[in-house]
Amino acid sequence: MKKSGAQIIIEQLCAHGADTVFGYPGSAVLPLYDELYKNAHRINHIITAHEQGAAHAADGYARASGRTGVVITTSGPGATNIVTGIANAYLDSVPMVAITGNVDVPLLGKDSFQEVDIVGITQPVVKHNFVVRDIHELEFTLHEAFRIANSGRRGPVLVDIPKNIQTETCEYMKMKPASVEMPKKNFDLQQAVAAIQASKRPYIYAGGGVVASGAGAELLEFSRRISAPVGLSMMGMTALPASYEWNLGMCGMHGAYAASLVQAESDLVIALGVRFSDRATGDTDAYEKDRTILHIDIDLSEIDKNVASQISICGDIKQVLRALLDILPKCDRKAWTDYVSGFKKSQALPHSNDFSPKNIIETTSRFCNDDTVIATDVGQHQMWTVLYYPFAKPRTLLTSGGLGTMGFGLGAAIGGCIANSKKRTILFTSDGSFGMNLNELATAVTQKLPITIIILNNGALGMVRQWQTMFYEKRYSQTTLYRKTDFAALAKAFGAAGYTAHTLSELEFALHNAPENGPAVIECPIDIDEKVFPMIPPGGCVEDIVIS
Amino acid sequence: MDKFTIELIVANRYGVLNRITGLYARRGYNIDSLNVNETADPNFSRMLIVSKGDAAIQTQMVRQLSKLYDVKEVTLMSAVNFSK
Ligand SMILES: Cc1ncc(C[n+]2csc(CCOP(=O)(O)OP(=O)(O)O)c2C)c(N)n1
Ligand SMILES: [Mg+2]
Repeated sequence: MKKSGAQIIIEQLCAHGADTVFGYPGSAVLPLYDELYKNAHRINHIITAHEQGAAHAADGYARASGRTGVVITTSGPGATNIVTGIANAYLDSVPMVAITGNVDVPLLGKDSFQEVDIVGITQPVVKHNFVVRDIHELEFTLHEAFRIANSGRRGPVLVDIPKNIQTETCEYMKMKPASVEMPKKNFDLQQAVAAIQASKRPYIYAGGGVVASGAGAELLEFSRRISAPVGLSMMGMTALPASYEWNLGMCGMHGAYAASLVQAESDLVIALGVRFSDRATGDTDAYEKDRTILHIDIDLSEIDKNVASQISICGDIKQVLRALLDILPKCDRKAWTDYVSGFKKSQALPHSNDFSPKNIIETTSRFCNDDTVIATDVGQHQMWTVLYYPFAKPRTLLTSGGLGTMGFGLGAAIGGCIANSKKRTILFTSDGSFGMNLNELATAVTQKLPITIIILNNGALGMVRQWQTMFYEKRYSQTTLYRKTDFAALAKAFGAAGYTAHTLSELEFALHNAPENGPAVIECPIDIDEKVFPMIPPGGCVEDIVIS
Repeated sequence: MDKFTIELIVANRYGVLNRITGLYARRGYNIDSLNVNETADPNFSRMLIVSKGDAAIQTQMVRQLSKLYDVKEVTLMSAVNFSK
């Protein structure tokens, strides 16, 4: 059957299960938006306040659900507004398809109105991107876009579709989604098994690849089977329940003390689905010294990129772990695990009632359940969330790991809330980040999303200020904000509920009263000098750790 | 630093060269020589790229290039390859 380009886009979105998309119209996508209008019963299009918000929402939707997020924008400024969102998805390996309109094919390359070379601009931050210059290539291209975004190491793909391609017609072939099942592989496990059996003090470093491959259960069994404690990267935070006795929490610069110390004591690091980011390893010489590194990852180019491994396996984490579990015998290492368990207990902090970031996050967590999706922005509040929130299930944390994008949080919370059947969703943010994209409050209100936004308001770009305290002799260049914004009133102006809490009981009151059918902002003023500890200074190792 | 040559078989269409040289540029590796020819099959081109880098860099480049959608084959040419 003959269909227009715009109709083909709709059919391919539906064929790939994209029943929810995020975007913003404009002249170069008018034919597509006309079809979205006619197909509103098949595709729920969420209009945001800004294209960046739409891209982060598609990203949050993908992180929370494991499905491919879709964002649609017009050409020119619409397209450039999603570049940050695409880069963010790229660095955290989030599957996303971005569809941008462009000027008619004959006008391309002539600096036409709202023409930009978005394929050129986004090239370094996508898995691949396409310009569709011929209607006959459209269906196949969209099909490829979903396949690429969702296969192997996932990531964003952009498809630029000139306006005339959306109106031209051609035969629709009804291509079905490609299988993204990983082909079964026979891994060479001998060296890995020998290293694990020879190790006295094995340590597992698990990351986003574990979550992406849905290998949480396998990781837990593996850790128990070989008696190895687990440290997590920020992207791997939800791979294991916080309550698991050998889960040491996040590794690295702002990671848990236990995770860094136990790594430094280990004789074998089993790295699962990680890329050894500099923020996670610090000094790589110290990291590699006196221990064997066994690196398992789906992306061959990550092996030996940042940290040299003696043994490596390239493959899907779930498949590799299953294969290892098939042959590894149970191995008790009592001295090692007693040391680790004892160490973890001694780290428990005494309880207090201060209105501290830790108590604010823990109090909020009592109003949540294991399935509650938690989003963050970027800064100190992000690290506190990762340090103190007791994550229980995979995909419940939406945080910008690789790019560290301030302003990611609210869009991501919107996408995550929609992916999680519009259940209560929490955003931990702070004055700086929230100021970047707070316009999306309008979207959350319109969509009636119960997102509770906790602003840990320290009146500062706290994380940068902390570095200035520690490394620039307290010269607070451009980081003391002390803005006069009344966040509760601002929330109300957007049609959301607004509260200010100065004590834990006021916070409890606000959390209790936050509406079921719309967002609430709870501003929590905190001290400007609160710090994130422990901290390993950039490029340092565990001996350099600063505890307070 | 060692000179090394990578041979690529790539899709013969606009923009492909840009994607490949972009990978070198991003890592700050100069391309000392570049040679592109259409193959007998006009759907593909063969590229020969000479650059400098140690063994780790060479492996990284091969692996990064292999990930590009338009790249069909990557071969790191050894001295032996040349003498044949
Ligand atoms: C878009 C963007 N611009 C700048 C930065 C650099 N940066 C990292 S953390 C930070 C401060 C964040 O302040 P805020 O959101 O108030 O969080 P806090 O650290 O106070 O909790 C800044 C400016 C960034 N990560 N992202
Ligand atoms: Mg702040």
